[in-house]
Parts: sequence; structure tokens; C-alpha cells
Amino acid sequence: MTRNAEGATVVAAAVLAAFGVTLVNFAREQSIDAQTALTFLVFLIAFGGVHLAVRTWAPRATPLLIAPITALTALGFIEIYRLDPVKAGLQRWWMLIASGAAIAVLALFARSSTTILRRYRNITLLIALILLLLPNLPTDWGFPLKGLVVNGSRLWIVLDMGFTTLQFQPAELAKLGFVIYVAAYLADHQKALREARRHLGPIRFPEPRQLIPLVVTWVVSILILISQRDLGASLLLFAGFVLLLYAATGTAGYLVAGGFMAAAAGVASYYMFDHVQRRVIAWLTPFQHFDDEGYQIAQGLFGMGTGSLSGAGPGLGRPDLIPNASTDFIFAAVGEELGFAGTVSVLALFSLVIAVGLGISFRSRDMFRKLLAAGLTFVFAVQTFLIIGGVVRVVPLTGITLPFMSYGGSALVGNLILIALLLRISHEEAT
Amino acid sequence: MNGPVRRIAIGVFTSFCALLLAVTWIQVVHADALKADPRNARPALSERGKERGLIVTIDGIVVAESVVDPLDPRTFVRTYPEGEAFAHIVGYNSFILGNSGLENAYASILRSKRDLTISDLVSVLLGRDLRPHSLEMTVNGSLQRAAYEALAGQTGAVLALDPKTGAVLAAVSSPSFDPESLLGDDASTVWDSLLADPESPLSDRATRELFAPGSTFKTVVTATALDTGEADPETEFPDPVEYELEGSTGTISNFDGGFCNGGNPVTLLVAFIRSCNTIFADLSVRLGAEDIGITASALGFNTDLTFPWTVPQATYPVDDLIDDPAALAQSGIGERDVRATPLHMAMVAAAVANQGLVPSPYLVSRVFDADGNVLEAPEPAPIGRAMAPATASVLAQMMEQVVTNGTGRNATVPDVRVAGKTGTAEGAGDGPHAWFIGFAPVENPTIAIAVLIAGGGDFGESATGGAVAAPIAADLISLWLRGTP
Repeated sequence: MTRNAEGATVVAAAVLAAFGVTLVNFAREQSIDAQTALTFLVFLIAFGGVHLAVRTWAPRATPLLIAPITALTALGFIEIYRLDPVKAGLQRWWMLIASGAAIAVLALFARSSTTILRRYRNITLLIALILLLLPNLPTDWGFPLKGLVVNGSRLWIVLDMGFTTLQFQPAELAKLGFVIYVAAYLADHQKALREARRHLGPIRFPEPRQLIPLVVTWVVSILILISQRDLGASLLLFAGFVLLLYAATGTAGYLVAGGFMAAAAGVASYYMFDHVQRRVIAWLTPFQHFDDEGYQIAQGLFGMGTGSLSGAGPGLGRPDLIPNASTDFIFAAVGEELGFAGTVSVLALFSLVIAVGLGISFRSRDMFRKLLAAGLTFVFAVQTFLIIGGVVRVVPLTGITLPFMSYGGSALVGNLILIALLLRISHEEAT
Repeated sequence: MNGPVRRIAIGVFTSFCALLLAVTWIQVVHADALKADPRNARPALSERGKERGLIVTIDGIVVAESVVDPLDPRTFVRTYPEGEAFAHIVGYNSFILGNSGLENAYASILRSKRDLTISDLVSVLLGRDLRPHSLEMTVNGSLQRAAYEALAGQTGAVLALDPKTGAVLAAVSSPSFDPESLLGDDASTVWDSLLADPESPLSDRATRELFAPGSTFKTVVTATALDTGEADPETEFPDPVEYELEGSTGTISNFDGGFCNGGNPVTLLVAFIRSCNTIFADLSVRLGAEDIGITASALGFNTDLTFPWTVPQATYPVDDLIDDPAALAQSGIGERDVRATPLHMAMVAAAVANQGLVPSPYLVSRVFDADGNVLEAPEPAPIGRAMAPATASVLAQMMEQVVTNGTGRNATVPDVRVAGKTGTAEGAGDGPHAWFIGFAPVENPTIAIAVLIAGGGDFGESATGGAVAAPIAADLISLWLRGTP
């Protein structure tokens, strides 16, 4: 696929989004309005802009990333629009902001290289930690940047610009900072960490002191689970770290140890927190607990089942019956209105993004870039698996967003920056 | 370094295969079960507001119609202009409660195929018609209305058939409910209050509830006696004041507790028109359960009927009666475990009227497309023969004498030869189940009817088939044949 073909797919995805919006309008109001043109234009500007930035600043980057993410954003956007046109209008603004951020990242590295991130890893970590702590700012002080409490958890900050406010989840950006830091750390200490002399059966285990980073991450994950009640973020952080540790060292002992630690924490949290218990009950027996814990998952399954092969059609199903359909359950909404055809397409597009991301890591000669590409892709893959798996009952529901598809600006910004970094690495490693 | 990444890649794509399998299970393999789950409101919601076909009676009265919603002109609301009188057979199309009656049985015909899907678009391009189809019922609207009014709120049912074709002319259950009250957002509340009503207005007593048929079942026993040659109308029977049940201390006595014929030998004809229990207990034991069972089964007992909905099986439990002469005697007068719906008893009357052939009852005469072209016009073949033509004509004469000289005098219609049989069965409620089955005119029957007042109706304990049910039958036969009650 060439750069020109990439441009063509961006236009095609913009047409897809605009066509979907038109179908929704027609099904619901039997009229066609300016939303069609607006959607087409925003998609064209946002993703066409990223495409042009790649042409300018990363011309040797793979042409296989922008196409699938634009298509995923389009499929998600159709359902967001169908569920709540107001949210869809906000999401369009976020698309412009997020693509602006991605373009800025590409421009930033135009003269240098992503390897400078390795040098600034400690600053990156510091920024990530500050971002994580930002929601703890006072909610009522004079400064325009405030903390915000949503559903009892402090995950948000608010930028009060006088004429309007902007809400943001800084953890979505902090996630990238952690991946950069861990990739740099492992690139430095990879040799030492790889020496694993202890054997337990066929599996080699590292020295106890080498397990310290693993233990630190484990404790941080548990703290996130306790303080923010965010099962998804906690799992995502730990799984991403363990996978990257294994990728850097090739020592299966880390996987085994990590697996045991996660299992121990999981079992303990099941007995300690009833929000974890409710998730497990909803996962195992959604229909027996239809009136309370299982309602959301059962409605998601009903929606997808009713959608069946070809789906109800945009605007013609009832995904609004599923609680949180536009965020956690966007995959079920796609399944209901676009059917099996839609869900299989979504899985294929995500698989393509992950395959391309891992391919970039494969071909990288520089250890830091190899680990950074791998880490970014792992986080993306684990997040995708956890939320889709939660909706289709492969794993308990963890309540994180589906990249590019769920409603939410912070996640879109974070994920587009993630893609920009992958594109840049791909450019730098291209021969 | 690529080794571990490759292994993780394999792990990631294996996990994604698990997602693909799960999605395939949900959306392909298990999809129909999820769609059909009663807690899944989507199928009903998708039907809400859509146009559905008309349901009209054979005399052109509209009983179900979709009209444009005045609040939202893009959608339709379902109306049932005839309300309670037709509620049990027409049913309702409620987005909360689902469908019932013909709305349910013919749901796929009545619904619009216009779902705005891609396949619809293709169908339109191919010139297919997506508009809903309509039904014409065999029911005569005026007769149905009159039957509902004649029951006057009493617990009961009327079922009238065309004895030659089996076309249902009227099927009324009382008390009833307003089907339009079950269409709105408060349907569940209304439903709960209807369920809690001690008179159970939701029950369809005409076709979906079983009752002891009482003495109306004597027509079945008499048909067996005539068919087997065990007796003819002039065969004489002894006349005890009580029939002593074999193997039991119990007895069977007549309705008034006295002799049938003053203690003198009594003919089958007289026993029939006076509805003497002692004689029919005796005759029943002489005939045996197997022979009566053959006639009963041919009349539709112990078998499943083909009808738009499931009709419970009328029972004459042959196997239980073979070695139990006491139960056999009690069953001969339509008590013990003998049960039938008014539909079954109307079929018994229709078979006698139709020279022994049992017509197959049906409710829908024609299915139309939106342009009025007839798509289906079912005329089901008779179920079978229950008695010889000669038996039927002798039995018809005996039933005519029930109306002229016997317990069914209240069924008399001036200038019309009416045949019938009364029944007063032990009921579960305040009074007996009062029955009348019959047909008219005897020389060329055009209507067979079963009238049931369950639990005695307004007469309570003193109710009898002759006093309570027969006059209703007379009014309806008169309306049917002469245009006035």
C-alpha cells in the first residue's frame, strides 16, 4: 500500500462516517441535515491532516496504520452519533484536537528522533506522575485548572477557559509516559535483567532483587485499584509492564511470576472489594442477575444477538437500552446496529493495527525503539482485548474505553499520540 | 529479541481468536435464543409504531386496525374498535406484553415487512410488496356482538360453528377486557390487575378452558349406543330411583332426585329428553369405555385440534375407566374426569348436524395482500366421521324432541326446528356449569352452538342448562336465522 492509497482510504473512511450519519438521520428523523457534510469535513481535516503530516515529517512510515484507525473512528462515531448527537458534536472537536496533538508529535520529532525520549525518561516519568495526580487539584479554587469528581472517582481535570470548559482524563496521557519510561529503563537494564540463573523445572527464574521493578509495579497497580477503584487501568498497567519485561528479557519466569502476582491480587481483591465481586457475578451469570449486576452485560448480549448477522441498521436498533453504550459498550452497539459484519470488521481492523505495531517492533534495530513500539502496541492490544472481552464475556468487564471507538476526548488524544509515535518509529527504522 | 515479541504476538492473536469465537457464538449460533429471550424488549420495540394489517369479520366489521398516531404522524397505533367482545380471539399487539390471539398466531402475516434494511431495499427494487397483509375472520360480527351482550357479564362462553364447514361464527368469552388498555406504557400494571381479578377476564373460556360437559355428553353416549346397535330410541330400560355404583357405596340419582318415569320401564328417547342420569349411567356401563371412547375421540376428544392457537385436549379417559365401572357410570353423564371446551361441545353438535362428519373448526377465512388480492382461503377438510349418517339423523330427531318436549324447551325459536341438549354439571364455583349445545334448522342446519354459563351465572346454585343457557342459544339462533333475537 502506498501513501496515495492511504490518502484514498482516509477519504473513504470519511465517506463511511458521513454515510453512517446520513443513515442514522434518515432512520430517526427521515431527513438529512448538515451533520453529513460536517462529519465528512471533520474526518477529512483530522485524519487527512495526520496523513499530510506523515507525508511531510515521516514519509517512510508504514501506510498501514492511519487507514485502520480512521475506519475504527468512523465506525465508533456512527454509533456515538446514533446514541447522542450532542456527544458526537463534542467528539468531532476532540478529533480535531487529537489529530492536532498527533501532528504536533510528528513535527516535534521531525528534526530529532524518538531516541531522545530515552534520555528524558526521568522527566517523562515525572510528567506522567504529575498528570496522574492532577485530578487531586482542588475542585473549587480560582485557578482555571481544577480537579473534578465523577461518580465518586477522581480521574478528571477541568480546564475552565471562561467561555467553555474542557474535561480531560490525564491518565490517558500518563499511560504513554509510563510506557516510554519502562521501555527506556528496560533498554538500559535489559542485559542484567536477562540473567536468570535459578531454575524451577524448565523455567528459569531471575534473582529475587531483579524482581524489584515487577513488585513496585504490582504495588502501584494495587494502589490504583484501591484509590481510584479502576480495575481496568490497574490491570492494563500491570499486564503491559509484565509483557514488556518478558519482551525485553525473554525470561519466561517474569511471565509466570507476574501471572501469579496478578492472580493473587485478583483473588484477594475479589474478597475485599464488592465492586470486584459484582463484576465477577455479572460476568459469570448475567442473566440470573438481570435486574441488578448483570443488566448491562445482558443488555449488551441481547443487542448483539438481536443484531445478528447484518445488524438492525444504523439508527434502527436499540443500543440506547444498554447502559454506557457510547463508552464501555460501544462494541455491543456496533454489534447491534451493524451486526456480525460490523463486529468482525472491528476485530479485523484492531488486529491489523496490532500486527503493524508488532511488525514495527520486529524490524527495529534500536533496542529502545523496539521496546517502545512493542510496549505501545501491548498496551493498545491489552486495552482492546480487556474491553471487548468484557463485553462478549470472555473476561470480566473492567470498564475501560475501546481505543478510537468509545466516546471520550482524552482517550482519543492519547491513542492518536500513540499512533503518531508508532508512525515516527516506523519512519526512523525504515531502510 | 524478536523471539519473545513473536510469542507474545501469538498470545495476542490467540486471545483475539477467543473474541472472534465469542462474537460468533453471540451473533450467529446463539442469536435466535437471545432475540427470543422474553427479557429482550428489542423485537417488540421494533414492531411498535409500525403499521399492521387489518382484521375484519366476514360481514365486514373492522376489529383491528392500525391508524396514524396523531402525536407522531410517522407511526401507527393499533386500535380494536370492537373492544371486549372480540378480545380473546383477536388478541392484542402490545410492545410490553407481546402478542396474543390472532395478532399472535398470524403475527408474521399482519406485520409490515418494511424494516428499512438493505434486504428491504433489494425487495423494493425487485418489486416485492412489503406492506402488511390483512385477515378476514369467519366470525360474524353481529352474532359475536349479540353473544357477548347475551352473556351479560356472566362468567361463560358462546361458541357457534357452521356445521358443514367448521367456520367459527362466534367465539365469545365473558367477562372480557379492553385490548387497547394493554397497549400503552402502563400495560404491566393493567395486566397485573386483570390477573388479580377473581373473575379472570383474561381467560378464554370458549376455546382455551376445560369444563365438565355434564349431560350434554349424553349425546356422545347416545351416538355410541345407536352406532353399536346396543340400543335404539325405543329400547326400554328399568327405572330405579338411584343407580348404585359398582364397587362403591355411592349412587347416581336424577336431577330432581326422583324416578325418571315413575318407576316404569323407560325408553332411551324419554330418558334422553328428560336427561335421566340413572339410565345413562346404566347405558354407559353396558356400552363400555372403549366404545364410548371411539365415538368421543372421533368427535375431537383425546386429540389435538388444528386451530390458530393451542386448544387444550378434551378428555374422556378411556384407560382409567375400563376397570372402574363406577367412574365409567359417572363419566356417562359428563362428570368425573370428562372435560371439554365449548369449542369441543359445539363440534359435537355440529357432527350430529352434519350427518356424522366432524368439521374441522377454523377462524380465518381469507388472507389478503394490501391491494385486496386473496393470498389464502383455507377450507379445511372434515376431521373424520364420528357416527353413521343414520345415527346422526336419529340423534338429531331425539335432540329436536329435547327442545320440543324435554329439558331444552327454553331453546324454542318460533317457526324454526331447533335440536339441542342441556347440561348441568357440577361446577367449582358458586353454582353448576349450565350448558346448552344444539343446532338449527334441523332440516338443513346452518349453525351449531354451545353456550356455557360457568358457576351458575346470575342464577347461582339454582342454575340449569335449560333455564340459563338454552334461552341464550335461542336468541342467537333466532338472530342468525331470522335476523332478530
